Amino acid sequence: MCGIVGYLDRKNDGDGCIGDAILGMLQALECRGPDSAGVALFAKPQDHRFVVRVKLGGEGSERKLADVADAVTATGSYARFLVDDSCDPKKMTARIEALDPGFEVVSVGRELEIVKQVGSPENLEATYGISKMRGSHGIGHTRLSTESRVDLSHSQPFWAHGYPDLAIVHNGHITNYHQLRRRYEQRGVKFYTENDSEIIAIYLGERLTEEYNLEKALRSMLRDLDGSFSCVVATAAELAFVKDPFALKPMLVAETDAFVALATEEVAIRARFPGDYRVREADVKEARVWRK
Amino acid sequence: MAEVDCRGRTVREINAEIRGLGEGDIVVKNPAARHNLGVAILKHARVRFEGSVGYYCGGLIDGAEIEVTGSAGWGLAESMMNGTVEVRGSAGNGAAAAIRGGSVIIHGDAAARLGVSMKGGLALVAGNCGYMAGFMGQKGTLIVCGDAGEAFADSMYATTCFVGGRIAELGTDAVASKPAADEAAFLDATLARYLSAEERKSKPAGRDFQKVVAGRKLWNFDKREWKIWQEAL
Amino acid sequence: MSSERVLQSSGTFSPGVIEDIQTKAESGLYRIRGYGTLRERRWATFDDLTFLPCSLTRIPLEGYREKCSTKTVLGTRFAGKPIELGIPVMITGMSWGALSYNAKVALAKGASAVGSSNTTGDGGMLMAERENSRTLIYEVLPSRYGINVHDMRLADAIELTIGQGAKPGTGGLLLGSKVSGTIAEQRDLPIGVDQRSPARHPDFLGPDDMIIKVEEIREATDWKVPIFIKMGASRVFDDVKLAAKAGADVIVVDGMEGGTGASPAILQEHTGIPTLAAVCEARAALEECGLYGVVQLIVAGGIRDGVDAAKAIALGADAVYIGTAALISLNCNKPIYVEDYEKLGTEPHFCHHCHTGRCPVGITTQDPELMERLDIEQGAERVSNLLRAMTREIQMLARACGKSDVHHLEPEDMAALSMEASAICGIPLAGTRKVFGR
Repeated sequence: MCGIVGYLDRKNDGDGCIGDAILGMLQALECRGPDSAGVALFAKPQDHRFVVRVKLGGEGSERKLADVADAVTATGSYARFLVDDSCDPKKMTARIEALDPGFEVVSVGRELEIVKQVGSPENLEATYGISKMRGSHGIGHTRLSTESRVDLSHSQPFWAHGYPDLAIVHNGHITNYHQLRRRYEQRGVKFYTENDSEIIAIYLGERLTEEYNLEKALRSMLRDLDGSFSCVVATAAELAFVKDPFALKPMLVAETDAFVALATEEVAIRARFPGDYRVREADVKEARVWRK
Repeated sequence: MAEVDCRGRTVREINAEIRGLGEGDIVVKNPAARHNLGVAILKHARVRFEGSVGYYCGGLIDGAEIEVTGSAGWGLAESMMNGTVEVRGSAGNGAAAAIRGGSVIIHGDAAARLGVSMKGGLALVAGNCGYMAGFMGQKGTLIVCGDAGEAFADSMYATTCFVGGRIAELGTDAVASKPAADEAAFLDATLARYLSAEERKSKPAGRDFQKVVAGRKLWNFDKREWKIWQEAL
Repeated sequence: MSSERVLQSSGTFSPGVIEDIQTKAESGLYRIRGYGTLRERRWATFDDLTFLPCSLTRIPLEGYREKCSTKTVLGTRFAGKPIELGIPVMITGMSWGALSYNAKVALAKGASAVGSSNTTGDGGMLMAERENSRTLIYEVLPSRYGINVHDMRLADAIELTIGQGAKPGTGGLLLGSKVSGTIAEQRDLPIGVDQRSPARHPDFLGPDDMIIKVEEIREATDWKVPIFIKMGASRVFDDVKLAAKAGADVIVVDGMEGGTGASPAILQEHTGIPTLAAVCEARAALEECGLYGVVQLIVAGGIRDGVDAAKAIALGADAVYIGTAALISLNCNKPIYVEDYEKLGTEPHFCHHCHTGRCPVGITTQDPELMERLDIEQGAERVSNLLRAMTREIQMLARACGKSDVHHLEPEDMAALSMEASAICGIPLAGTRKVFGR
């Protein structure tokens, strides 16, 4: 149970102040998500390269990454570097995570970077300077943990592990999570946390691999996932949301010539974006995709 | 006309100032969709929020008249004893939840569960309403001028509903019929009272609304109504 | 050779199960009754713990002479005006509707006479209840029957109820024979309906929304009174942390053994975790978020006497609620009006027929003639006596353990009598120095 946001800048040709926009929205939602904060931002694409962000292990563990990449920068709990996008993301992830038991590849994408940690949006900003990050669109999350641990890995957004440039944030609780998880694990899919939200990322990664149609994939969530969910999803080219068949969690939508903003509460949108525009509550079972 | 500015103040401070102003006209500026604004106003104050409000605006009031020029979040006017809460924009889930009396008027659309567990009073939407409006409604009147979403008037006790547009799906034990002459007149009078002439142009006449009430098959446990009970506990 | 028949019933399809299946074959509906779980208690309960009074290592206090304080304060976290009680035993919420007017007033008077508190229930506030209660807690339930901001502002605390121990995750039930004229009017319902309450609150869905709801309630009550959040014991560890994060002053966990006036039997038997397990999970949750001692904990669900109360307090509760025990003190299941028990198909000590509205002793009925059998003053005195007796029991145990304040009882004052209790409570098994299962 949480606060989730999404933001698409329509005016700045992929070079807008999206970090600042999303941070501002998250700050307004901190009350309903005091445990962790995180963002997934989509910057201008790297030429033939993936940006890889890795949660580090113990002190000095970033040195082990010299094997896989040249210019590794370490900030806070993360290492960041670029690799050739001709590699298989799944194999690369496995290789990196084998280097140290504490390593977790938190995001991979030509445009995507996920930055998340325990604590408030202010702390996230202080450690990682989110407000300076630029790009076309992004999603964000403030967490109120329900049944799983409060730590970096269990925070959101979740990257669809192995599927570049796909991230999700989720407000609600998937009630057939354990059952679905066991079926995925039988097929060899690796889970990184006990957080039910993670399965949404895995599910969508699979769906989009079978057939690249984000709206269709979101609609099939309505059939396959049980429980409560308002979910914001982002790919390299799209920002989207879906709302569960019982309308159990809020999803507010604002759309102008300048931006699309999605949030759990209207207060997050109004706090950050002044102006005269309407904000509406999404309908039950509504799924909507915007292309950038 | 007293003025209250929300900027830089806590909701507690804002509400204390509103209540301190007693009866009379109050304008509240920069509400910025914040929560719990105008909760438990127990005097006959007339408060206008210029902008949007968050959750529970007008919740637990008795006797106040509240207007919101923007939109409203969840639980608009929840458990109101008496008064009027009017929103020019749209309202979120559970608008008019558990109201005991008074009127909730929404000029835009209402999201899911409009009038859930309402125990009296009037809930009126000029636009459309979402999923499961009128759920377990006990008393009072629910009027939707536009279209109604799925599971409309599900599992109700004795609330009376009227819909001007299409009903996507009737809820468990909901039965539709035509309004009687006096009910049609009531609808016309109510719309005339709360909607502008401009708004009313696109709305049907009272006699063209559908009336929806409970079929009463859920009012007492009865094995014979298996199909009804399959859906409801 | 005598020809005595030896009858053997199936362990699986026992006579009770046969009757159940055949009744469902007639009705097509689940069974509904009152009272609470009737199953034999084969799970770990308070009976699996025993106190370790002072012997050589510690010095006991003299009973009856040396002080043993029972004062109990609830709501110190945020409330402007916490509740101060004389004893740590309180009356839980039971609706006017499920209970008769005489029962509600007797409970109010009885509790007040000994510095205890009363709680409204799933039907709103009775004015007579407020008038006769020294301390009254107002329950806000999913149904919102009788919800009234003015009544809320007359209360000494607000209890936001997510669910109750007998039937967590589901709504209330009041069968038609009890939805009389006055009850129907109070609840805004048609007379005689089999009233079903919703399982969820109408205006918040989830702990994140609940944070905002708690603030609304504070706004409506001028930030003065404590806010309780009450939950049926299910995922207690997670739920208690969330309630604490949502800003509760006091958290109430109501265990599986809790009572009800009417509810589907399967819910009473097969939902929720036992009260002993619930209090241990609740305390661990508060410790994990660093709020143990900051947020108060009330435990409910089949508390029968001062011993259960003392054990709950030792395990971490600040107070306990009683419900069924209070009704039993009002003559529930007393061997009087025996022919009326028989008319219900039962006998004294076996009656759980609260749902019928034909309570032979006038407690769970709306029939005025039956209600007259419960004299308010006499009933109040019986409730007071039970509360006094329970308080004396708690004090006796506390003094034996060397405590001058009942709230100084700790888990270390007890030993476990079974491995399950040892594992659940983190208390060594008597005869060993070992805690099992951790």
